Amino acid sequence: MKNFITRLAATAVAVVSLTAAAQAFDPGATECIAPANPGGGWDFTCRQVGKTLQDLKLVPGTMQVTNMAGGGGGVAYAEVINKRNDANNLIIAASSATSTRLAQGAYPGNTMDQVRWVASVGADYGIIAVAKDSAINTLPELMEMIKADPSSVSIAGGSAVGGWDHLKVLMAAKKAGIEDVRTIKYVAFDGGGEAVTQLLGGSVQAFTGDASEAKGFVDSGDIKVLAVLAPERLEGDFASFPTAKEQGIDVIGANWRGFYAPGGSSDEAYDYWVNAIGTVYDSAEWKDIMAQNGLAPLNLRGADFQAFVADSVASITDISKEIGLIH
Amino acid sequence: MDTLSALADGFSIALTFQNLGLALIGCFLGTIIGALPGLGPSNGVAILIPLAFTLGLPATPALILLTSVYYGAMYGGRISSILLNIPGDEPALMTTLDGYPMARKGMAGEALALSGIASFVGAFFATWGLVFLAPQLVKVALLFGPAEYFALFALAFATLGGIASKNQAKAALAAGLGLGIAMIGVDGQTGVPRFTFGEVHLYDGIDFLVAIVGLFALSEVFIFLEHRGTTKATGDASGIKLGRLTPPLSMLKQTAPTMARSTVLGFIAGVLPGAGASLGSFISYSVEKRLVDKNNTFGTGDPRGVAAPEAGNNAAAGGALVPMLALGVPGSGTTAVLLAMLLALNITPGPLLFTNNPDVVWGLIAALFIGNVMLLVMNIPMVSLFVRVLLVPPRYLMPAVAMISFVGIYGISGSTFDLMVMVFFGLLGWILRKLDVPLVPIILGVLLGNQMEANMRRAMTISDGDWSALFASPLSIGLWLFAFFGFILPIVAGRFFRPKFPRTDSEADPD
Amino acid sequence: MSDRIMGGVGLLLAAFFIWQATLIQESFISDPVGPKIFPIIIGGLVGLSSLAIFLKPDDEPEWPDFSRLFEVGLTVAVMVAYAYALPSAGFVVSTAVAAGYLSWRLGTPPVKAAVAGAVIAIGIYVVFHLILGLSLARGPWGF
Repeated sequence: MKNFITRLAATAVAVVSLTAAAQAFDPGATECIAPANPGGGWDFTCRQVGKTLQDLKLVPGTMQVTNMAGGGGGVAYAEVINKRNDANNLIIAASSATSTRLAQGAYPGNTMDQVRWVASVGADYGIIAVAKDSAINTLPELMEMIKADPSSVSIAGGSAVGGWDHLKVLMAAKKAGIEDVRTIKYVAFDGGGEAVTQLLGGSVQAFTGDASEAKGFVDSGDIKVLAVLAPERLEGDFASFPTAKEQGIDVIGANWRGFYAPGGSSDEAYDYWVNAIGTVYDSAEWKDIMAQNGLAPLNLRGADFQAFVADSVASITDISKEIGLIH
Repeated sequence: MDTLSALADGFSIALTFQNLGLALIGCFLGTIIGALPGLGPSNGVAILIPLAFTLGLPATPALILLTSVYYGAMYGGRISSILLNIPGDEPALMTTLDGYPMARKGMAGEALALSGIASFVGAFFATWGLVFLAPQLVKVALLFGPAEYFALFALAFATLGGIASKNQAKAALAAGLGLGIAMIGVDGQTGVPRFTFGEVHLYDGIDFLVAIVGLFALSEVFIFLEHRGTTKATGDASGIKLGRLTPPLSMLKQTAPTMARSTVLGFIAGVLPGAGASLGSFISYSVEKRLVDKNNTFGTGDPRGVAAPEAGNNAAAGGALVPMLALGVPGSGTTAVLLAMLLALNITPGPLLFTNNPDVVWGLIAALFIGNVMLLVMNIPMVSLFVRVLLVPPRYLMPAVAMISFVGIYGISGSTFDLMVMVFFGLLGWILRKLDVPLVPIILGVLLGNQMEANMRRAMTISDGDWSALFASPLSIGLWLFAFFGFILPIVAGRFFRPKFPRTDSEADPD
Repeated sequence: MSDRIMGGVGLLLAAFFIWQATLIQESFISDPVGPKIFPIIIGGLVGLSSLAIFLKPDDEPEWPDFSRLFEVGLTVAVMVAYAYALPSAGFVVSTAVAAGYLSWRLGTPPVKAAVAGAVIAIGIYVVFHLILGLSLARGPWGF
């Protein structure tokens, strides 16, 4: 019954605003698509931002989170372009994994300018880790082992082959002087959680992922972080772990987190979302969440963010070509 | 004793009027959601998350509500399995095999009550397992690498031969069809689309709920349509006997060892991430059939065939909470949703959850005990209500079942395409049933196909393409041997040694 | 005969499946097994079991006569139409029509069937939408 009344009210409001041609944009029932199963980074982005939007009363009611897993985000990307292109109440979580796949043409037939890039909410730096009782203690040691015998080290990650988690290892290996990086053994799991579990179980020797994915296991001391792929040491819990750069392997793997909106959404809707996400980013609540989850600052909105994603796609295209992933 | 005092604290958190009320609502809604075809525990929990947020519930009450729904749905799935031969959700699949024949024999009341008790036993002991064994069980989960998972799934398929129809080739065909359906969609390992024919709706694959509802519920409608005017369609309702509403003591005695074994097996299957409740009920049923089915009564309404999958799947539901809480890795679709809920409440599951958020964990565990008792108390008197469904004439009941199936699917996905796929499966299910092809292996294939392939390929990546890696660890060798000697060899040997006996009396257990 | 036809269809299906599997585009970098092998193994399984069914068919099942087959076919058509009508006609109306049709075909007198259809549609609407809060198709009248 309650739903019926709300709907009636919503209809009434819609009719009134149409006749009055009201300017204020009302997103209505807001929705965030997390293009992966619950528990991963995209899901985290949707849920935390959704909750903050709700707490700050920037959206009416609850933001609904829809998990739409598949194709490394490609299913959601295609769904948005093909079926929900003019939805104004919708944002979709994205990250470096999205731009990686776009750069490699892994969303068949889709490009980055088919959607509108809204804003970033921070960056999650990559880590490379081993189990706590592993004999390996530094990133160069790991790289030497791979150089000596590539088949002796299996590296687990949460993305598909060629995805962002895989690419970070390849970039580091390239910098460490490994010529044919294709010999490196990468095992794709369904998300970072499963990959860490396999590291603890001893099926694989190393783990590549994001700082936030591994936090619970770093705190408990179950895994040993060999290197953080950041320009300088992170703050908080990860401060004691060296960067790859310190160890002479100059590689940075910043997994930005942010949102895009459907390509056909109206300008009012786009501005609304840019402002809403921007307000979230500036809030004290969000600063806390960033600190708790090992997110580093990255503050880009609207046109700046659009340009940033374009750059990022271009540079990943270059890296992928250089490494020999695409031609 | 620390554990017990922590549990007592948990009870003091959970035992408030508000929380008990939430548990009651959750159990009730969960039972209904479980019983409705097309809605299972995972989307039941997902549907009610907005409710928890709307009510502005803090972490513990929200979790109590949602886990009550979870356990309630695990109880509810059996109702439509037994009464209508339509599994209410995927873990209740195996309950159709003996539950529906029992109902046909006029023992619907006993079947419902017995399965309620079996569900209680499974869930109750699994919750104790969660209390005392969680840290140790995490180590068991860690023993399973890709090769071991592959062996486990192979074992599941090997057991099919034992449970399926008289014609093994048809069971194999059904399993192959299911596995083939699972292959549709984007390959999780490399991200390339397979068998999608450029259709974007197929990128995500075919949802197993769409397959289950089509194959079981819609095909049932077609069967009634075919037999309209004959005794099957009209004579049933008047001649139906509801039977007793409580199982006789002798039946409980007979099924007690079955419940005990199935609880253990189901619990272990639940603890393994990626196996889950369906595998729990499946393995429980087929192992039990192998062990005790001396007179080949399984599949014809044997009470043990009802107790085994229900104890198994409810134990698995409890087991699946172990990796979710202790590792942050969901062991089933439902725990994935619960995990998301925890994350949204800013609680990070993982090795430190028990230390960092003891109030949440122990409150949750206490809520599981409360919900479980509540469900038992609620379900036994409700048996008399449920069996009355059988008194509804099929000409009213079947249209309602068909429409509920459509709504269950449409309400979740909002996709006309899914409905078309479901109608296709309905027609396919009808034809296959006419041809005596079992439907259970198809669902098993759809459920396990992707995991089976992914783990095989992971194992191959780790071993550089050396196939012997699939048989390298003691655990995987054990699983393979169990599959071979327990299930494959008896079938082959039975064929070989007694090829000339007529089918009816040659099926006795070779042991 | 039916089993032989099914075996034949199964063999064709297996051949088609394996052929499609060989057409899967390999991605630029792959695991040692790749995306093709497992589907090909499954195709082999389907093919072998179909062959076995073809060579050793069971007894003939009892097929309904033509009028009943037509009836099943017509019901499938109604279900397909229902799926298409949902988004445009709304949930309650299309469900009442479809459920009424099914009830009629299962042997209810027409007037009673229409009432049954309406009751089923409204009952489902109450349980699924008003109690469980699922979003059902809205249609022009909002229900």
